[in-house]
Amino acid sequence: MSNVVTGLGSIGTISPLPKLPSLQPGEGQGGFGAVLSSALHHLNQLSGGAEQQVGNLLKGVGGDVSSVMIAVEKADTAFQMMMQVRNKIVSAYQDIEKMQF
Amino acid sequence: MTTGPPMMAMLESYLKLSASREQAISANMANIDTPGYRTRDINLESEFNKVMSGALRSSEDGAEPVQLTPVFHLVQGLMERPDGNNVSLDHEGLMLAKTQLQYQLAIQLIQNHFHQTLSAINGGS
Amino acid sequence: MNLFDSLSISGSALLAERQRSEVIAANMANAQTTHTQAGGPYRRREVVFETRGASSFRLALANSGEFQGPTPGSVRISDVVDDPSPALMRYEPGHPDANKEGYVAYPAINPTAEMVDLMDSVRAYQLNASAVAATKQMIQQAIGILKS
Repeated sequence: MSNVVTGLGSIGTISPLPKLPSLQPGEGQGGFGAVLSSALHHLNQLSGGAEQQVGNLLKGVGGDVSSVMIAVEKADTAFQMMMQVRNKIVSAYQDIEKMQF
Repeated sequence: MTTGPPMMAMLESYLKLSASREQAISANMANIDTPGYRTRDINLESEFNKVMSGALRSSEDGAEPVQLTPVFHLVQGLMERPDGNNVSLDHEGLMLAKTQLQYQLAIQLIQNHFHQTLSAINGGS
Repeated sequence: MNLFDSLSISGSALLAERQRSEVIAANMANAQTTHTQAGGPYRRREVVFETRGASSFRLALANSGEFQGPTPGSVRISDVVDDPSPALMRYEPGHPDANKEGYVAYPAINPTAEMVDLMDSVRAYQLNASAVAATKQMIQQAIGILKS
C-alpha cells in the first residue's frame, strides 16, 4: 500500500508546455499585408501599362493590335484574380468573426 | 491610375472619328461616277491627337469638352480619270475595311471596360 | 455624326446606279430602232451624276442632324441627256425607213461600249452595296455594347 502512495509521490515536476514563438504585434499581418500590397501594385502597373498601350495604338504611335490586346487581357485576368483574392479574404474574415469563444 | 484623359473619353472620341471617316468613305463610293468629284478623307490619328490634347487642356481648366469637327482633306496621289473623278475602287474598299476594323476595336475595348467595371461592382461574381 | 447618314448616302448611290443601268439597258434594247414616235432613229441616252451639298460636307458633319434636305455627299442623277453624235447611216434601199438616197439612219450605239458601261455600273453598285453592309455591321456592333 505504501508503495502505491510512494509511487504517487514520485511523479515529479510537470514538464513545462512547449514554448510557442512569441508573437510580435503586427508581424504576421505585415508579412501577408506586404504580399497583398505588392500584388496590388503589380496589378496597378499592369492596367496602367495596358491603358497606355491602348492610347498609343489609338494614336497610331506604337504597338500592334495583338500585343495591345494581350496586355489588356493580362491586366483583366490579374484584376479578376485580385477580385477573387479579395472575396476570399472577406469570407475568411467573416468566418473568423463568426467564431465564438 | 494613369494620368491623362480617361479611357472612356478616349474610346468614345475614337469611335466617333471612325464613324466620321466611314461616312466620308461612303460618300466617296457613292460618287464614283460623278464627274469632277475628288476623294476626301480624314486623318484619324492626327484628329484623335487633336481631340486628346484639347481634352487634356479642358480637363485641367474645367472648361467645356472639345467639340469634334474633323477636318476633311482631299486625298493626294490618286489617278484621275478623264471626267475629273479620282475615286479609286480599291482604295475606298481598303479604307472601308480598315475603318470597320478600327471601329470594331474601339467597340470591343469599350465593352471590355464596361465588363470590368461591372464585375468590380458585382464583387467578382 | 450619324452612321444612318452613311446609309442614306450609299442608298442614294444604289438608286443612281440602278437608274444608270436602266438607261444603258434601254440603249442596248433600242440599238436597232430606226424610227420613234418623235420621228427619226432612237437617240442614245446618257446619265449625268451630281453630288449634293459637297461644299457643306464638313459643316453638315459638325451639326449632325441639324442639316435639312438631302444628305451631303449623296449622289443623284441630275439629268438624262441625248447623245448628240450623228446617227449611223446604212445603205438599205428596200427598208421602209430609208430616205431618198436609200440610206437608213440607225442609232449611234456601240454594243461593246454599252456593255462596258453596264459592267461599270454593276461594279459601282456592288461597291456601294458592300458599303451598306459595312455600315450596317458597325451599327449592329454599337448596339451590341448593351448586350451581355
